[in-house]
Amino acid sequence: MNTQRAPSSEFRLLATPLVIFLLVFLGFPAIVNLIYSISDVSFETLRRPKITGLSNFVAVWNDSAFWQATWFSLRFGALTALLECGLGLILAIFLSPLIEKRSWLMAILMLPLMVAPALVGLMYRLVLHEFAGPVPYYLWAWFGASLSFLGPTSAFWTLIVVETLQWTPFALLLFYMAYRAIPTEVVEASAMDGARRWSLLWYIELPLMAPTIAVALLIRFIDGFRVFDNVYVLTGSGPGGSTASLSIYIYEAFFKQGAIGKAVAASVILFVVSFAVLYGLNVIASRRKGVLK
Amino acid sequence: MGTISLRKAGKQYGAVEIIKDLDLEIADGEFVVIVGPSGCGKSTLLRMIAGLEQTTSGQILIDGRDVTLASPVERKLAMVFQSYALYPHMTVRQNMGFGLKLAKLSTGTIKAKVDAAADTLKLTPLLDRYPKELSGGQRQRVAIGRAIVREPVGFLFDEPLSNLDAALRVDMRLEIAKLHRTLGATMIYVTHDQVEAMTLADRIVVLKDGRVMQQGTPHELYEKPANLFVAQFIGSPKMNVLPCKRNGDGLLDLSGEGIMELSLTGNAAPLQIGARPEHLSLVAPESGHCRGTVEANEYLGGTTSVFVRNPKLGLINVSAPADSAFRIGETVGIQIDSSRSSLFDHSGAAIARTSVF
Repeated sequence: MNTQRAPSSEFRLLATPLVIFLLVFLGFPAIVNLIYSISDVSFETLRRPKITGLSNFVAVWNDSAFWQATWFSLRFGALTALLECGLGLILAIFLSPLIEKRSWLMAILMLPLMVAPALVGLMYRLVLHEFAGPVPYYLWAWFGASLSFLGPTSAFWTLIVVETLQWTPFALLLFYMAYRAIPTEVVEASAMDGARRWSLLWYIELPLMAPTIAVALLIRFIDGFRVFDNVYVLTGSGPGGSTASLSIYIYEAFFKQGAIGKAVAASVILFVVSFAVLYGLNVIASRRKGVLK
Repeated sequence: MGTISLRKAGKQYGAVEIIKDLDLEIADGEFVVIVGPSGCGKSTLLRMIAGLEQTTSGQILIDGRDVTLASPVERKLAMVFQSYALYPHMTVRQNMGFGLKLAKLSTGTIKAKVDAAADTLKLTPLLDRYPKELSGGQRQRVAIGRAIVREPVGFLFDEPLSNLDAALRVDMRLEIAKLHRTLGATMIYVTHDQVEAMTLADRIVVLKDGRVMQQGTPHELYEKPANLFVAQFIGSPKMNVLPCKRNGDGLLDLSGEGIMELSLTGNAAPLQIGARPEHLSLVAPESGHCRGTVEANEYLGGTTSVFVRNPKLGLINVSAPADSAFRIGETVGIQIDSSRSSLFDHSGAAIARTSVF
């Protein structure tokens, strides 16, 4: 039996469709992106970009709106990731005995994930609307006062709550799986060793769930960092650009200001930074894996 | 100290009774093996003693103290699980020291105790490894080490060797026996492997459907089984059970195939006679208690198992010297060592025999 790898000519032939696909759909746009990022280009001159060097990058770098958007995305990503994972973890552990007996509960808990984020944005826009929304209406009726949910001071926190409410079930699902996967005998062994509820959680359950927690935090951070749809629908980028995420900044630069070069330059910066972060995390993860094997 | 007593202990899941009013007294330093077929409740019983399973009726006492409602750690017992149940994210040292750490002992004390236990179990070079980096036998030793360091009043073993390969199982069996001699601690050992039971136990408890069928030393169980179930469960290869009847002369009639001169007392009415393969011998067809035709030979190295078919008595397994050669289809006689056979009545209970000739 021949278990050796196919000769390299066949290997190349078989890989050709994939390589062509990647070149056309990833390579070509990437190159166009790079060229645009160092050119003066508008919608009229898409086919004749004028190379201007790094001026787009300088413009982005000096744009306070870019830094504001970056800061928003970082804060938004980190806070929502922490909140979603924290809540998801607590819920997973507390609800686990209940879900185990009635698995249909999980389906109900997963419902928020079924709604498109843009729809969630629209829904909250209606519900929280200062004049038409039921939430401010009842707050006025019962307490005689209401937060201006989408106003300058609370818009950021409203967005955080909206995002957290939608995506906590995702963390809950991952953590529930990880929690159920902890071997019963290991938990029983720790009970024989004298572990009570809290020491069990701290010394056994959380460390065994740590890889899942790390993955969930990363996924939720990335998702929160690049947030676009629900934020754009709910608050636009306002009030006063205070809720513009990096994605919204790039979108607005591209479509609203027609500053294609600047938008693409910002996206290149985003790409380089994300790549560096992910590469760094990967290195750390593989080192840890080397220890635990 | 480490006496463990069960007083009418029972376990029910809903309407299902797993353990029924079980009484068991285990002396300090005794090695008790609980054995039985799968589903007999032996693991449940061990987990009840450990405190991992709630006892629904009766009492469990450790050193005279009622621990029926106590948590596992309050019972001061240590358990070794079938799957080892090591903490995968901890090194061997951390695994062994975890119980001591929870008991809030000082780092120095923990280190000393772990080192001592590691030394006993030859684990010292492995102390900084993670469970994933260990072989099955090494993991089992770590699990035992984790039990030892806590200096428990008793050890509970739940089929600890069934995940190991045959050769390793023999080694670990010897190691556990040695450990029992060195520590002198009470040990309760659950297994379905009767070789482990015979070799390790001071006392074997045979369990069936949550009831004790018989308890006693391996020798007692082997030589004087209290009933048909124990007779067939203990011993490998299995005991032969042949149908029989008491005849008018008070002798034993082997279903018309032969007569055994056994004196039967009183009105004992045995219906079955049990004889282990090694208590049977093959003789010339015209002598012996019964005869049959050879159906198969199994060469086992030390001995040969000869399977002899008798139309009325069924298939009889006779242990013959290894070099004996019987042709398939050959007619042979079987001599039963009547002094070492057991008689059972209609309910399967053994019949006491006073004199034998």
